[in-house]
Amino acid sequence: MKSSLVHQALILAVFALVPGFGEAIYFRDKISWRSPVPASEMVTAAQARTWGGNAIWVDARPDAEFASDHVPGAVSLNEDRWNELLPQVLAVWSPEKKVVVYCSSLSCNASREVARRLRKEAQLPNVFVLKGGWEEWLKSKK
Amino acid sequence: MKTNIFAFTLSIVVCVTAHAELKWDQTMVELHPATADKQAIGHFKYQNTGSKPVHFKSVRTSCGCTAAQSQKEEVPPGEKGEITATFNIGERTGTQVKTVTVETDDPEHVTTVLTLKAVIPQQLEITPTFVFWGQGEAPKPKTIVVRAAKEFPVKHLKVTSSSPDFQTKVEETGNGQFKIDIEPKDTSKQVASTLTIQPEDSQKIFYATARITNAPPIQ
Repeated sequence: MKSSLVHQALILAVFALVPGFGEAIYFRDKISWRSPVPASEMVTAAQARTWGGNAIWVDARPDAEFASDHVPGAVSLNEDRWNELLPQVLAVWSPEKKVVVYCSSLSCNASREVARRLRKEAQLPNVFVLKGGWEEWLKSKK
Repeated sequence: MKTNIFAFTLSIVVCVTAHAELKWDQTMVELHPATADKQAIGHFKYQNTGSKPVHFKSVRTSCGCTAAQSQKEEVPPGEKGEITATFNIGERTGTQVKTVTVETDDPEHVTTVLTLKAVIPQQLEITPTFVFWGQGEAPKPKTIVVRAAKEFPVKHLKVTSSSPDFQTKVEETGNGQFKIDIEPKDTSKQVASTLTIQPEDSQKIFYATARITNAPPIQ
């Protein structure tokens, strides 16, 4: 009886693998809309706060959200107006500073994209993505 | 035992198919906008193949850069329609993947995720887009490499510095590749310059930045 149950469970598990394999083959070149960020490139709000004036806060949210409220001293850099806004970030940057990029929440992707471009295109070192974004920063303030 | 497994599998299949009402032609659309395009628009077509009306409860996008609209709130049985997703390209580059999450009152398919993939053509790849010197550092030239994409051949590049404190020299190195040497006149004061890079016969302008920072000189 027991071995019969194990047998059935195994067969069902094999069935469950079929759509998994199908998806892996069919969507093999599909890019996730949330590009993975290595843990070493993420930073928590508490940790980033300890960097004090040594951190440059970069707000990757749309202009309207930045205008509504933002981390004190943050500079706006979004991909809608990348060429126009990037010089503002570079103007306050210096080699010893750390760059903390944030967007709205844990689920947004803008901070990852902005951080990626700062690293790849401008070749800035020490660029981090704020875990949980603006929402998390607000919580950590309380 | 075989009967048990068959019955179990059959019951799952029956449950899934009996309530499937909103059928999508495709849940992933790939777009290849032209260089001058400001938007990329994806159309996700559907049909209510069930016997009851389906109501859209919400249509949400993964990015503020994308807007999605359903033509109607209620889809009667047999009726077709589409969700239109408009992605504002802005100054984004490379492959962009945005999602639209559709919620309906179809109990078997409450949530459907539609994926819009836009492959944005990149005429020039500029590496790096930022060069800097520490204050007091030797004013040696630094190089920016520009690669033109195969589908956008470039014969000449025009480079202009917004500040006379930096001089630029462009050299073609072959295979659609160019080298831009940027040299500051001196590094004693903090100055910055925006470099405009424009391929000949193109309206599109690309940018890079050169700056003397307040950092100690890099030896």
